[in-house]
Amino acid sequence: MTQIVIRSRFPRVYRMLRRWSDRWVQLGVQTQFFAETLASMGEVFRRYRTELLRLIAQMGLGAGALAVIGGTVVIVGFLTLTTGALVAVQGYNQFSQVGVEALTGFASAYFNVRLIAPLTAGIGLAATIGAGATAQLGAMRINEEIDALEVMGIRSVAYLASTRVISGIIVVIPLYCVAVLMSFFAARFGTTYVYGQSTGVYDHYFNTFLSPTDLIWSFFLAVTMAVVIMLVHTYYGFTASGGPAGVGEAVGRAVRTSLVASALAVLLVSLAIYGQSGNFNLSG
Amino acid sequence: MIDRDTAMRPFRGVGGFFAMSLDTFVLMFKPPFAWREFLIQSWFVARVSLLPTLMLSIPFTVLLVFTFNILLIEFGAADYSGTGAAYGTVTQLGPVVTVLVIAGAGATAMCADLGARTIREELDALRVMGIDPIQVLVVPRVLAATFVAVLLSSVVILVGIAGGFFFSVFVQHVTPGAFAGGMTIITGLADVVISLIKAGLFGLAAGLIACYKGISVQGGPAGVGNAVNETVVFTFVALFAINILASAVGVEATL
Repeated sequence: MTQIVIRSRFPRVYRMLRRWSDRWVQLGVQTQFFAETLASMGEVFRRYRTELLRLIAQMGLGAGALAVIGGTVVIVGFLTLTTGALVAVQGYNQFSQVGVEALTGFASAYFNVRLIAPLTAGIGLAATIGAGATAQLGAMRINEEIDALEVMGIRSVAYLASTRVISGIIVVIPLYCVAVLMSFFAARFGTTYVYGQSTGVYDHYFNTFLSPTDLIWSFFLAVTMAVVIMLVHTYYGFTASGGPAGVGEAVGRAVRTSLVASALAVLLVSLAIYGQSGNFNLSG
Repeated sequence: MIDRDTAMRPFRGVGGFFAMSLDTFVLMFKPPFAWREFLIQSWFVARVSLLPTLMLSIPFTVLLVFTFNILLIEFGAADYSGTGAAYGTVTQLGPVVTVLVIAGAGATAMCADLGARTIREELDALRVMGIDPIQVLVVPRVLAATFVAVLLSSVVILVGIAGGFFFSVFVQHVTPGAFAGGMTIITGLADVVISLIKAGLFGLAAGLIACYKGISVQGGPAGVGNAVNETVVFTFVALFAINILASAVGVEATL
């Protein structure tokens, strides 16, 4: 009764509060979905191993037209190849301005590992396996296949979302190996072959400053991003609505959110790993 | 064994894309220009992109400034952190973040919208009525994406530098005056102009890819989903390819 009175007396305030509370509810639903997905991971290994294997194969190779041009591996490799080449282009030229172009190898070992490779790989993951998952799940939701799964007694969150998160984590490790190697290779190729630095100088500074601990942390960053990206993308696919255009919009929203979420995750995790001092010793 | 049709599909796609781009460029200068659609699309792209742009540019720059300052503090040259922040933001992060958002937010929505219209055979209906869908739908969208990308990239650069400033000054204790003073050491007008040109090129590529994928959709909701997915992938790939070429040219031009 009071609610009706308030609604008719202050319609605009009511609508604003309503929108505000709807947003909070949505956030809660999202969190609940994430928690359920993470909690059902054990279920996947007990019951849905075949589906997991199928998804791993599909994510590694990509689906549809993406498989024809070489799949996820080629795309992520290509993206990191170009950003690694940026180290050569920008780094070599800027360093040679102040006469320390010998340090380009150092720039490759330092910036590629800490900054460029994780961010680029994250972008690649969101675009390929992330957006693919949203498109698939969204189409399933529109065609009411997810409801059909529920009716058949299959736990749809575990079967569709948790399997995708786990296979994302498994696929990201070899993918990230390719990504890091590509970025190193591109920086070295650009600096030594295109700009003509001697390979000995490049390798010396590269090997001196390449820290194995940093590399391991960099892998950790990549896995964190994979989890965040897959969770966001499965959520948006799972809750898609509104016909064919709705699926497309869900993909767009998911890409937007997961780019922001994974960039924030990388920022927070690297602040936590490297700390304020940076955990970096120039003198060895 | 892959049959001939599947093997030829990528080439046919590339050919179709170039044909549509050519049509778009020709029809861009042919009256009547769809002003209304252009304004609506520009406003739409700007509206969906603004918030994600701000949200994305802050973590990216802070990460760059953080990594760069570690190095500078180790060298004892923390006063130059403004130089690194300005250079990185203007030459790389500004245009790249802009197009990530334009591709992720604007292009996907465009592709979904056009794809849904293609499936409902609205484009065929337009053709029957003697209206060229490229002229009324594709041209304004491509121009809107280009226009908004240029505008947004300046916002990204401003927000990014501001974020870098706050992080450097309040977290890593760099002198504010030195930060501001160092910004213009190696970043000049030429870099800013090249950065805006880059952003425009990215927007153009994103708009063209999104429209092509949208008008060539086949097969129901799953088809639209896949088309949007491919839009994202191809735009990102095209963006990084353009970026490396434009950076190499830009470096030659400014140094």
